Parts: sequence; C-alpha cells; structure tokens
Amino acid sequence: MFLRSLSSLAALSALGALPAFAASAKIEFTRDIRPILSDNCYHCHGPDEQQRKAKLRLDTKDGLFAVRDGATVVKGGNLKASELWQRITTKNPDDMMPPPDSHKKLSTEQIAKMKAWIEQGAQFQTHWAFEPVTKSALPKVKEAKWSRNGVDPFILTRLESSGLNPMPEASRETLIRRLSLDLTGLPPTPEEVDAFLADKSVDAYERLVDRLLANPRYGEHMARPWLDAARYADTHGLHLDNERSMWPYRDWVVNAFNRNLPFDKFTIEQLAGDLLPNATQDQKIASGFNRCNVTTSEGGSIGEEFIFRYAVDRTETTASVWMGLTAGCAVCHDHKFDPISQKEFYSLFAFFNSAADPAMDGNALLTPPVLKLRTPEQQRKLDAFTATITAIEKQAKERLVTLKYEPPATDTNAVKITETVWVDDDFPAGAKAAVNASTAPTTWIDSAKGPVFSGKRALMRKGTGVAQDFFTDASQPLTPTATGKFFAHVYLDLLDPPKAIMLQFHTDGWKHRANWGDEEAINYGIKNTPEKVLMGKLPEAGKWVRLEVSAAKLGIKAGTKITGIAFTQSGGTVHWDKAGIADSTNPADNPAFALDAWKKSVDKKTLPQPVQDAFKADADKRTDAQRRAIDEHYIQFVWEKTKSQFAELNEKLKKSKDERDAGDKTIPSTFVMADLPNKRDAFIHLRGQYNKTGEKVERGVPAILPPLPKSTNAPTRLDLANWLVSPKHPLTARVAANRFWQQFFGLGLVKTSADFGSQGEPPTHPELLDWLAGTWMEQGWDVKRFVKLLVTSATYRQDSRITAKPLQMDPENRLFAHGPRFRLDAEVIRDNALYVSGLLVQTLGGKGVKPYQPENIWEPVGFGGSNTRNYVQDHGEALYRRSLYTFLKRTAPPPFMATFDAPNREQSCVRRERSNTPLQALQLLNDIQHIEAARHFAQRLIIEGGKPESRLDLGFRIVTSRKPTAAEQKILKATLDKQLARYQKDKEAAEKLIKYGETPAKAGLDPVELAAYTMVANLLLNLDEVVTKN
Amino acid sequence: MNPLHEFARQQTRRQFFASAGLSLGSVALATMPSTLRAAPAAGRNYGSKIHPALPELPHFAPTAKRVIYLHMNGGPSQLDLWDYKPKLKEHFDKDLPESVQKGQRLTTMTSGQKRFPVAPSMFKFEQQGRSGMWISELLKHHWPIADDLALIKTVHTNAINHDPACTFVMTGTEVPGKASLGSWLSYGLGSENENLPAFVVLTPTWSSGANAQALFTRMWSSGFLATKHNGVALRSKGDPVLFIQNPPGVDSATRRAMLDGLNQLNEINHQRLGDPETQTRIAQYEMAFRMQTSVPELVDLSKEPKHVLEMYGPEVSKPGTFAHSAIMARRMAERGVRAVQILHRGWDQHGGLPKDIGGQCRDTDQACGALILDLKQRGLLKDTLVVWGGEFGRTVYSQGTLKPDNYGRDHHPRNFCMYMAGGGIKGGYVHGETDDFSYNITKDPVHLNELNATLLHCLGVDHRRFSYKFQGLDQRLTGVEEVHPVKALLA
Repeated sequence: MFLRSLSSLAALSALGALPAFAASAKIEFTRDIRPILSDNCYHCHGPDEQQRKAKLRLDTKDGLFAVRDGATVVKGGNLKASELWQRITTKNPDDMMPPPDSHKKLSTEQIAKMKAWIEQGAQFQTHWAFEPVTKSALPKVKEAKWSRNGVDPFILTRLESSGLNPMPEASRETLIRRLSLDLTGLPPTPEEVDAFLADKSVDAYERLVDRLLANPRYGEHMARPWLDAARYADTHGLHLDNERSMWPYRDWVVNAFNRNLPFDKFTIEQLAGDLLPNATQDQKIASGFNRCNVTTSEGGSIGEEFIFRYAVDRTETTASVWMGLTAGCAVCHDHKFDPISQKEFYSLFAFFNSAADPAMDGNALLTPPVLKLRTPEQQRKLDAFTATITAIEKQAKERLVTLKYEPPATDTNAVKITETVWVDDDFPAGAKAAVNASTAPTTWIDSAKGPVFSGKRALMRKGTGVAQDFFTDASQPLTPTATGKFFAHVYLDLLDPPKAIMLQFHTDGWKHRANWGDEEAINYGIKNTPEKVLMGKLPEAGKWVRLEVSAAKLGIKAGTKITGIAFTQSGGTVHWDKAGIADSTNPADNPAFALDAWKKSVDKKTLPQPVQDAFKADADKRTDAQRRAIDEHYIQFVWEKTKSQFAELNEKLKKSKDERDAGDKTIPSTFVMADLPNKRDAFIHLRGQYNKTGEKVERGVPAILPPLPKSTNAPTRLDLANWLVSPKHPLTARVAANRFWQQFFGLGLVKTSADFGSQGEPPTHPELLDWLAGTWMEQGWDVKRFVKLLVTSATYRQDSRITAKPLQMDPENRLFAHGPRFRLDAEVIRDNALYVSGLLVQTLGGKGVKPYQPENIWEPVGFGGSNTRNYVQDHGEALYRRSLYTFLKRTAPPPFMATFDAPNREQSCVRRERSNTPLQALQLLNDIQHIEAARHFAQRLIIEGGKPESRLDLGFRIVTSRKPTAAEQKILKATLDKQLARYQKDKEAAEKLIKYGETPAKAGLDPVELAAYTMVANLLLNLDEVVTKN
Repeated sequence: MNPLHEFARQQTRRQFFASAGLSLGSVALATMPSTLRAAPAAGRNYGSKIHPALPELPHFAPTAKRVIYLHMNGGPSQLDLWDYKPKLKEHFDKDLPESVQKGQRLTTMTSGQKRFPVAPSMFKFEQQGRSGMWISELLKHHWPIADDLALIKTVHTNAINHDPACTFVMTGTEVPGKASLGSWLSYGLGSENENLPAFVVLTPTWSSGANAQALFTRMWSSGFLATKHNGVALRSKGDPVLFIQNPPGVDSATRRAMLDGLNQLNEINHQRLGDPETQTRIAQYEMAFRMQTSVPELVDLSKEPKHVLEMYGPEVSKPGTFAHSAIMARRMAERGVRAVQILHRGWDQHGGLPKDIGGQCRDTDQACGALILDLKQRGLLKDTLVVWGGEFGRTVYSQGTLKPDNYGRDHHPRNFCMYMAGGGIKGGYVHGETDDFSYNITKDPVHLNELNATLLHCLGVDHRRFSYKFQGLDQRLTGVEEVHPVKALLA
C-alpha cells in the first residue's frame, strides 16, 4: 500500500521541471526519500555487501533505524538525534556525506525533504514495485463528467490538484488518424474518415476501435515494440553476422497479437513453449524468444565464455522485459541499488544456462535446435508420399527375395590400373587458372623453396582465411570410369597447418567437394552429400600424403567430363602436387560388378537410412537383417546384373522421393529453445568472469519476490514462466501495462520503463498503474481489451494542443494535460508513405525482404566470408512490404530504421528514443523510396483529384485526415505553381525525377505536371503534422 | 565461375561477387553535381545553437577541442612497429619461456599449438627525436613526428577476440549496446559547426586481403544515447553523407522552393498546436539544406595546394583510401567537427605478417605523419587530439610457419602500443615498459579505460562526472571500476 494521499505540490515534485517542493507537504519514503538515498548513498550503503562501507546500509528498515555506537542512524521526529541528518548537513569534510570525493552532493531541496521526512516521523516503506499490486477505488474528482472510464479519475485528480485542466476532446479527424496509426500503424483513408464523421451513434468511437483491433495490421503494428524487446533480427549479430532463420518467430508474435493471445499465455509460450506438455508447433516457435540473442562463431573464441554470455543475456532480457529489473548489475557483484544479490542473479541464470544451442553458431542459417514448420496439409502430403514409397518398396522386396549376389570372377592377368596425371608442374593444357579469396597469385615453387613431390615444382599457398587455387576449361577433360579414383598429393606445413583442405571438381558446376579436417572451416556445400563429402581428419603434416577419393563417392557418374579442380584450404600453408585419376579394369575393383568394391567406395551418407545404419555396425558384427539391407540395396540399385530388373520400380521410387523432397525443402525452419538432456551446474561467476566460478547455486528467484510454488522436482523454465504471471507477482503486470501505456501516450507512468528498481523513476500515477495492472489481470490478461481501455479513455481522446501553462509546468506531459503528440516510429513513417501512395503490399509474414538501401551500407563493415557482406536488393513487391518485414542485419541495420531511432536489436530495448535530426530530414526528402512514393502519391492526386485545387485538398486530406485551411491551400497552390514553372522550363529534369524508382510512371501523364506534383507530394509527406501522431 | 561462392549463390539465388566489395574508392566523393555547389542562400535561420554542449561541460579548461581517432582494426603488431625488443634475436625459434607465458589464456586458434616458438621482428628500428623513441622502419613517416607523439607501450584490454575487443575499445565494454566514444563526445560537448555533424566516421580500404576482420556499426553508434549522437559515415561510394543529394531532376532552387512551402505550413502547424518539437523540426530541415552545401564543400579538394596534397601521398585524391580519409579528417578538424574516427581494417596478421603489415603501413604511415604535420602547420594540433591504435596487440610467439622473414602472430590483449599527439599531450614521450618478450607489462600499465579517461581529460571532461543513467546504472565510457587519467601523458 503506498501513495495513498496525494497532496497538491509534493505530488508533482518527483518531476524535475514541475513546481518545487514545499516544506509543509507530506513526505513519502518511496516517492521522495528512497530516490535521494539510492542516488547518493546506496553505492556504499546499499545492498552490495562487498562495497558496503562502515557496515552501514540505508536500504532496509533495520539499517536506517539502527543504533550504532550509541548513535541512531535515523530517529523519527528527532533531527538532532539522527546521525544521518548530522552527516548530510555538517560542514566538516571528514564527516560530510556524501563524501566530497564522490562528486555527489545533495541539493537544498533534497536536504529539505530529508528534514521534513525525519520531522514527520521517518516512516519507512518497502520499494513500491515489490509491494503487491493493490487496486484502489477510483478517486473522487470535481469534473466527474469528463471521465469516460476508470483511467480518467486518476489522471484528473492529479491534474486538478496541480491546477491544470484537461484539454477538450480532439476533433474526429484527429481521433481517427490517431487511433488508426496507434492500432494499425497506418493512417485512415478519406472514405474511412468520412464514414466516421457521418456516424452519429453514441458508440461510433468504440466501434471504430473494434474495427481497428480486428484488422490484421493491428498484430503487425503491436509486434514491433515487442520485437525490440525480444531483440529479434535476421542475422546472428556477432563477427560474421551471417543470416539466421528466425522469422517464423516474428510471424508468431504478429499472429499472437492478432488472435489476442492473453499475455500470461504469451509469456509462458515464449519463455517455455518447448517445455509445455504436448507442445504444439506454434508453442515451440514461440520459444524462439530465447534464441533471438546475438551469437558468434568467431575463430579463436572460447566456447565456455559464450555459453556463459548467452545465458547472461537471456537472464537479463527476461528480468528486464517481464520485471523491469536491471539484473545485469548483479552479474559482477550484488546489485548496488536493488535487492538482488549476485547469488540471486545466478539462481535466475541457472534457468537459462542449460540451453542446448552451441557456443559457436557455425555461421549457419539453422543453428540447432531448430524446427521444421510443416502445416497439417504439408504433413498430410508427406504422409501420402510415404505411403506410396512404402508400397513400391514392398513390391521391390518381393522380387529381391528371389535374387542373390555372387562375386565376379577375376582374371588377374588382364587387370590393369591406369593413372591419368592431370596436374604436375602445371595445370593441364587449356586450363584457365585463378585464385579465389586471396590477393596472392597462383604460386608454383621448386624444391629450393619448399617440398616438391614429383617433377620440378609444386603448387603452394599460404592463407589466413579460406583461399583456393583453381582452374577450369581444361582442353582434355578427365572422364572417370566406374572404378575411378581421384588422387592428389598434399604436404601440409608442420608449423602452419590449415584447419581444413578441400578438393573440388568442376563438371557443369562446382558441385563435388571432398573435405579433410575441420568440417566447418570451409563453409561451402551441404555436409554429407556429394556437395561436401567428409573424408575425416587432416592428413599428417610435414610429409607428402596421397589423398584419394572415388568418383562414385563424390556422386560423379562414369563418363562425366571433369574440366577443373579447385585446391582449397582454410588458413595454413599447403603444397599440392601430382593430381589426376586412377582407373582399374578389374571387375573386382568395379563397384558396378563387385559388392566389396562398392562397399569401399560408396559414400555411406548418401544411402537410405537403414542401409547407413547397417554400415555403422562393424562388418563382422552385422546382424542378418543388416547384411540383407546392404546386399538388397546393392542388388536393387547398383549391381549391373540385376538393377535393370528394378528399373521401372526404381524410377517410380525416385520420382516419389524427389517430389516429396522438392515440396519439403521449401518448408522453412526456425530456431527454437531446448535444454540439454543433462543440465549444467550453475555457479556464481566472480566479478562476472566466465572462467572464475565461486559458490554453486540452484535455480531460484530473488527473495524479495514471492517464492516459486513448491514442487518435488527441480524448477524449470516453465515454472519460472508460470511464476512470472502468477497474480501475486508484483512486477509483471505493472511492467507490461506500463509499456502499453508508453506505447500510446509517449511516456510510461513509470518513465524508466526498463527500470522499476530504486534507480528508476517512481510512477507519476501509482494508483492508476496498480488499477491498470489489477484490472488487466482480473480480465484474464486480455490484451485487446486492455488496449481498448487505454484508447477509449478521455485522457487518450484529448486534443494534443499544447498551451502555455502545461508547457511551462510539465513540458514532457507527464500529467497528461493534453493528448499524446510525438513523432511516428521509423517503420510507421515509411509504411505511411507507401500506403498513401498506393504502393504498400500488404502481404502478411514471411522471410525478411530487402527493399531499397543506399549502396555501401553492408559492404564497408562486413567480413569477407560473411553471407551478409553484399546487400542484394530485391525487386518487385518486396520493395513495398511493411517495414516490419525488412531484413535486419544487426551490424549494419537499414538506414531508414537507424536514422529514426530504431534499435539495432543487439540487445533488448523497451523504449526507443525520439530524436529530431537533419539526417532524418535528408532521408525523407531524398531517399529513393520516399521520392518514388511521392510520385505515386502525385499520380493518385492527378488521376483521382479533379482540378488542381481539389487535387491539393485531396492530398492534404489523405495525409492529415483533415481539410486544409484557406491559408494552407494558398501555400500549397503557390508551391505547386512554382514547381510547375520550374519544370516547364526544364522538361528533361521532370523526366529524370519521374523515372526515379523501379516502378514506371503512369503512361499518358504529362511529365511536367507529374514532376511538379511529385514535389508537392514530397512536401506533404514531410509535413510535421504527417510524421507526427497528433 | 567462382567455385567457393557457387554454393552460396545456389542457396540464395543471389549474386555474389568474386571481389566481395573490394572495389571501393571509385566514385562519389569527388563527383557531386555542380548544382549543389551553387546553392542559393538558405532560408530563415532558426536558432543559432542547434546542438549545444551539456550545460555542465566542460568541467574544466580543456587542452583539446576535438579528437581524430585513427583505429587500426585487427590488432597491429606492437612487436613490429613500436615495441623494440633487440634481445629477441637470440630467442629465434626457441620456445617462449613458461616463466613469461605464465599459463595466461590464449585464443583457441593457438591454444592447441604444440610449440610457442619466439618470432623476433624482422624489421629494423631506429631511435628518433629528442626522446630517442624507437620506431620501426615500417613507419618511416612517423620518424619526423616522434617529438609530437606520446607513445604508450603498455595499453591493455579485457578481450582476446575481435568482436568483443572492438566493442570494448570503442565503448568501454565487451557487450554490445553501449555508447561509442565519439557519441559520448557529441552528447557531452555538442557541435561547433552548425552545418556538419558532430561525429563523423570513415572506413577506408586496406591492402591485406579480402578476409579482413569485420567492423560493426556499434563501434560508432550511440547505444543508449539519442541516435542523433550516432557517428555519421562520410562515405566513399554513393552519397558522401546518406541522402545528401537531391533526387535526379531536383536542383537546389527546386528544393528551396519546396522547403519554403514546407516551412510555412509547419509554422502554421506550430501556431495551431504549440509543440516546440515542430520548431526543432523546421530548424533541422534548414540544417539539412545547409549540409547539402557544406558537405560537397567539405569533400572538394580542388582548393588544396599541391604541396599539401603531396604530403599525404599519391592516394590522397582517391576517395576511400586512408590518405583521402586523413586529409578529410584535417578538413573536418578545421571546420570544428568534434570527433572524427577513421577505421582502417586488415591488421589481423595470424600468418604472413611481414608482407601484410608492410602493405598496411604503406596504406597509412605517410598519411598519419602528414596529418600530424599538417595540423601542426595550421596551428590546429595544439587543440586537436590525435589517437592511434588497434583493439589489442599480438603475441611474440609465432602462429604457424616461422622463418626469420616469415611468421604470424596471434591476439595479445595484455599489452599493446598506442600513441596520442597534440591537444595537451606531452610530445616525445614514451610511457610504460614491457618485458623482453613484449608479453607482460613491467612498468606503468595503462588500461583502455584509463586511456579514455585521459582522452576525456584533455577535452575538459572529468570522466567520473560524465555519466548517463541507463539500466539503473550511471553509465560511463570508462566503466565502473575506478580509473584515473594518466597524468604523465599530459604536457
């Protein structure tokens, strides 16, 4: 229970610019005193035991009223006997608090407050945010008629006591624009405005709200702030910053808002969707919340460090997003201001440190654990294919029981091995040689300079990253037989070995690779397919080693023309020599005739799973069934003597499998959360260092908060999620309700929406915050209903005109004496321009798109090997999707987002700044997407608008929802005339302007007129009134 | 067809380029349309100080008004440039003594190495200037300015890999999300030029190959500060400042006419609604218009005398090179830009160091020397602080092949070299000492936080009082641990 009585001026004093403190006012510890102590004293006299000086703490009741060496720290009603008072008022620098070298100093006003607090009896209160949510009765107000719902009396009582009046309701045009932008992120059309103006029914406004809440654009708009908090993006974020497939999670968030998933379920599914009993695919996607953090795969990184960091990030994010706690402070030491000890931080951390994702993301699109997202329909299709395939296999089986393999007879005299040497001392005739990913040219060295295996010289390369020598277009291609084995000799430097080496063969493309060493170091091709056959460890360094790989294993059929080889390495110094192919005429060497030869040469990973499994067992330990699986596969698909009998069946089988795979391959996957089967132990990390662990800790929650429900098992993330949304939890509802308030009103009731601790600002309207939090929970965390409550309040519906008195008393509008007015978010500004011009493509969801972006945004920062090094812009509809769907590369975010204060999603963000800069002006004036939108808007005006004056009126109305005044009409007309005059003089310039952008200008329009209107449309889209919610 | 990239292309159906963005430095800086050069006068002047300093700053009289920060990204080898270790010759290919290595952590790139053979630098060093500062032959253009430099041999940092170390050197912490140095300066000290941003960043090309370590925009981003304090990229391709050019078919007069109408309508809106933000917006549009003139003027080198251009070397006229960036830095210093940061990539020599570092020095050495001399001859060096350094140093032991003239070095965060010059810094001074292996500090360590505290001190800022409340903490560029400016570095 707190802040019961709000007497006039003291209530305002928490707000810097509001009227100053009056000594007679009633002092509240939470509101008036704790912030002073927190800011000035808690660093040395707060919760952090390590830093505590003189064993004195001022954040607890015991500490504040303690008697020490005969002196009382604070004695209610007695200034003289209060040591604290003596210390903050003394002139003696030795006794003075805060000490002079702390650079902290209490202001006169703060000292006056301390005095009044002690004189009034020094009442102590627990920090407000940790007290249970308590719904109080609606306050009595003088202007009771003004109120529309429970929000308003709380606002009004504060205004009345401050001597301010609320503004009257805004005009209907303003209201529909405000509502449409707030609930869908898009403005209303003139037709919608007209309909609303004409609707005289009492519930017109409410029905408008309902209509907007039902629009799927609502979910997209509401998802944005949540995605900031969830730090969602389309790349990994660290080092290479490669692409990741996370967008199904983004779409889940959109959908969750649209289907009005209650906030408690919204919470549970994101924090623990993977742990729910019989979790649905959707719930598993939701668990991706905890996979949105930045990850690395930087060479040289220490795995343990990043496992630690990822868990810290997840802990901090959860604490911040749901509890408004700055738990990060307790990573290194006990929290200096809030009652979270370091041990408690690591108890929370223990819920997250057993995540199953690896320390190194592998720079992969799909870093496990991931989930393939089949729809029920897709699953049905897959099942149908499986049934067909099973039927064909059954038919084959019936034939197989009649056949038996027999080894070929060998005429050893006739057997020959022929070696075709292709590369020795040089590449073969006609070869076009080249180097990739390195500036050093192709280098052949002789034995004076290094090891040579054969002939006069060997190929040598020294690399830091992935590099390769290669050639194509050899005039005499290699054509392997079925027994063909490629060979090459390699010498790895003893002191400078590579991480991996690779041979790659050119047929109609570079699709056949054999890799030795680290599987990830040369990050090309799909592993365990002919695109990337894994040959095991690196050969021994410091000597020549013959590498061999059979053509069959690389998926190269007999007779295929090989026209090039690439010699690749990841780092190190590598020498290559004498390479070519060896063929044999011995049928026993030929996999098509001899089972044993086939067993040796076939790439097992390419075989059906049961055959693969059979091969995994040691040859002498295979069961009969396993042996049969191998033999039957050979007889059905490989053996020359029998495979023709299966030709028809095999073809059908292949067709079904191909069709199945072709469909299935296009189905996306997404990152999901999962825990390791055996959880990791958790420890306190001393000073936040990953490799310095202290005491072991168990999963748990801070003692200041309600306890976890008792359960027999160790608590899980699911228990944590349930705990967060239990009605007793004092923070979750307050924190989330405050964020919604912030979204619609510009600032939260708690301005520091990320910090509900003692360093944050206390709420301006504490009873209102509790009333909102309590009401919302009572209503089952119904988000749409809650949003409706906010936007149907009289407070929200006020005119946003700013008059002199509130501007001077309350420039930030913390008391809500007028309606919200602030600049639109980055995405809304762009979407608005696309929408009014008719360009916006309103497709919901899908993979991130790459709209217009100035050249050289990604390139100057990107790592050479990153797959997000080069920005390749999309075309067509992708250019005009809602900004929510723009591909987000964290280390170089799109300028239209960054310039307008969108966070780069490297860490959780629950409040965007709202800056006002010349770079924003330049972007809205000159960016191709805004100019193209202006031209389309201009076309629309010319075609739909009739005569010039009414075109301008229409344009003004589309962007502002209201009709221009006579003065405004005059300015617009004058601007148009000037532009027309200029472009009439310079038609070439007009042509240039209307050709900017990928869509062509509408045929048949006069270029001069279109150019002039384009400039006027550009003006309209830059109006303060248009980039602002009014 | 490029065999490496074919896979990526097939996967994504996108075009990948063999040279992967290497071909910077061709067009835009030099080729602003002439229409912008002859811009008509700007409209009404709204508010003289668009971006003032915080009221409490500076805390005391500064010795520097601005900073030019030359960041050599990747970790330049202190052993081959600044930290002269003649005794190492005797240790060639011998194992680094355990008494030196002391089991300190290594990156996983070399922690598996069987041996840690010592690689002495193959480069000659000479003593220069009154102080007898040893400088490598790779940095001959630094020889004449030795007496302007305070060389710090004992800088150390917390991180051992690039991403965290870059984040640390520029923001004072390893985890992304905090404000960068230049953003702090923009926030605290504001701008002295109404027509140019307070914090400008350049990312020139480099010699040592395509796979240079990455940069991250967080190295110049404002983090928790308002985004107006973000570093503004002065770009070598496309618009020099994003969207500075009018679209095709719009000249300056056309733009002016449109802006006049826009301002009038915004004025009406301000009268109607009384929001001060509207006034600010009008002022920002005017500044945008002025920037459309001031930026082309800034990047136009046609009035630079030939002898000055020659100081910076043959590449000075080529946008996107380090030399061009350096002269831009000087021109911005003249125009009162608060913080200029040049980030030169490619200093990560794990192997083949002698050859690659030669190229890196050819990119930068002459222009660094010229920048300091040029500032000096214009009287600007006395209040311009120049800082040079990377995110960490490199190991004395070789990574990979070791020959007298060929070796590589792994990351070494425990000591590396940086220098400061001008703006109240003591010239001709060497600070700190390392052991014979340049592996441990033996005297006067300087943590990066202390270096930043010193930098702020030169600008009249007490780093402990320069904070911003975020996530419940008083955030500082210099971190939470108590540090002090290094007084010995001050003139």
